[in-house]
Amino acid sequence: MTAMAALLKSGLGPGKPMRVLAASGQLGYGIPEAAFRKGLAQNPHIIGCDMGSIDVGPYYLGSGNLATAPSITKRDLQLVLLSALDARIPLVIGTAGTAGAKPHLEQTLAMIRTIARENGRSFRLAWIPADIPRDLLKSMIAAGRTQPIATMPALTEIDVERAKHIVGQMGVEAFIRAMEMEPDVIVTGRACDTAVFAAAPIMLGYPIAASVHMAKIIECTSICCIPGGRDAMLGTLDGDSFTLESMNPARAATPLSVAAHSLYEQADPLSVYEPEGMLNVGEAKFEAIDERRTRVSGATWHPAEQYTVKIEASEWVGERAILCAGSCDPRVIANSAEIVSEVRKIVNEIVPPTGDGTYDLFFRIYGENAVSLFPTQPKGDAAEVFFLVECIASTAELARSVISVSKQYLLHHGFAGRLSTGGNIAFPFTPPELPAGAAYRFSAYHIMDCDSLPDLFPVHIETVTSDSAA
Amino acid sequence: MKLIELAKVLRSKNAGPLQVTVDLMFADSNAFEIALQSEALTAPRVAEAYGVSPSTVVVIPFRAALAIKVVIDRPVIAGSPGDTDVYGAQQHKPLLEIEL
Repeated sequence: MTAMAALLKSGLGPGKPMRVLAASGQLGYGIPEAAFRKGLAQNPHIIGCDMGSIDVGPYYLGSGNLATAPSITKRDLQLVLLSALDARIPLVIGTAGTAGAKPHLEQTLAMIRTIARENGRSFRLAWIPADIPRDLLKSMIAAGRTQPIATMPALTEIDVERAKHIVGQMGVEAFIRAMEMEPDVIVTGRACDTAVFAAAPIMLGYPIAASVHMAKIIECTSICCIPGGRDAMLGTLDGDSFTLESMNPARAATPLSVAAHSLYEQADPLSVYEPEGMLNVGEAKFEAIDERRTRVSGATWHPAEQYTVKIEASEWVGERAILCAGSCDPRVIANSAEIVSEVRKIVNEIVPPTGDGTYDLFFRIYGENAVSLFPTQPKGDAAEVFFLVECIASTAELARSVISVSKQYLLHHGFAGRLSTGGNIAFPFTPPELPAGAAYRFSAYHIMDCDSLPDLFPVHIETVTSDSAA
Repeated sequence: MKLIELAKVLRSKNAGPLQVTVDLMFADSNAFEIALQSEALTAPRVAEAYGVSPSTVVVIPFRAALAIKVVIDRPVIAGSPGDTDVYGAQQHKPLLEIEL
């Protein structure tokens, strides 16, 4: 019997405590093992891991690469996979490989098959891609059934054609369909963080509001504690209320620390939007059970009239090259704005951006307001500044050329009152010009109506055996 | 009184790639109420501190956590060319100097 089949036949349901172990909020950066093992000792009914995020930027969705190092990713996958199989506990992993598009899911599944082969394990695996078919998205645009989020412009057919990868965030519905097929392990493409942890309780009949609220908190593991951390978090769901406990004894889930977590990375702390509805935590109550555990209740669930899916896409904008240099010369620092402006003109003359050979050149002067996104920060009074010169061009060769010319003219630019005629800048290493690979931007961050979630997020089942090919 | 004398936490982070959110957290309800009632933490005044249009700023109190959330539209989508802070974790500074 598979782990999921055993859970479904166990008679677990409302009135009986259900233990959900959140092993990782971002699998692949090194799961703290002691707390995870302590969590296993609590006999959890299910183990969940979130593996991705949009926070890391458009590069990963665009390129198909993982943000996490392969060796650490494999270490984490092996830790949770072998532990779950040994204990016969269902394992759920959401947003595989950072961004959850096809290449991310495939690389994650390949690692899982390799781990199975290397460790002689066999199990039933369900996986769910999250890639959005381009034709479907175009037809939804044409039908006026996509909406921009916040300040995004309206989505166009050209955006869809240019996108390297397009994913949609699946919700609990997709996970429940996979669970009904009774696997041992579920791995998905892009998914709502909450769905990873809320699906099993909802499937077993626990209230949706409490299930989603608990999931929303434990999906970041022990970040909701004082002091916050990355250790495994145990959520115990009783019915309409749930209890939170970090598996690291040094971390305390207090009513205030848990309530404050509702703020984290959310524009609206009171509402959490999911494909199937909205969770409102405005009336939630947080009560201390002891110094390290908090009981939570009182969130409400408001089902959506129309299923919607959050769409994310990333498109290639060019090839990037950078220059790293610094200066401690007070006159260079005092004249940096003028120097940069003149160097930019010279570079434009030597490498004119024409035809297909276009580029953007950014001079970032750290020490002089290079960090703030907003215009009101005063320029610094720095003793040293760092020049990060960045070019995004239509080809890597052009980006390299622009950076190379920029370097030489920045080094030797003559300005009024200059003393340092040996060079305006210091290079920390050689070569100071570095290719930085492809550059991307988020081209879609929209809400799309969905008439059939099962068609959009189909479940695939396979039996992984110790001799499965990766 | 300066906001930083009253706030226990003053942090910024993206809330999705289009907005940056600044969380102001207070140690007790007294401090929270002082901040909440201050004119300096209204959307127009926060917008002034950031040099942006008031229509791009929202201020949301969250009493259960003794916290006030400020949400500001990002001038650049996270990670697009010209961005300076992909995670938005260093955009809290304009509030450090605010007088309540």
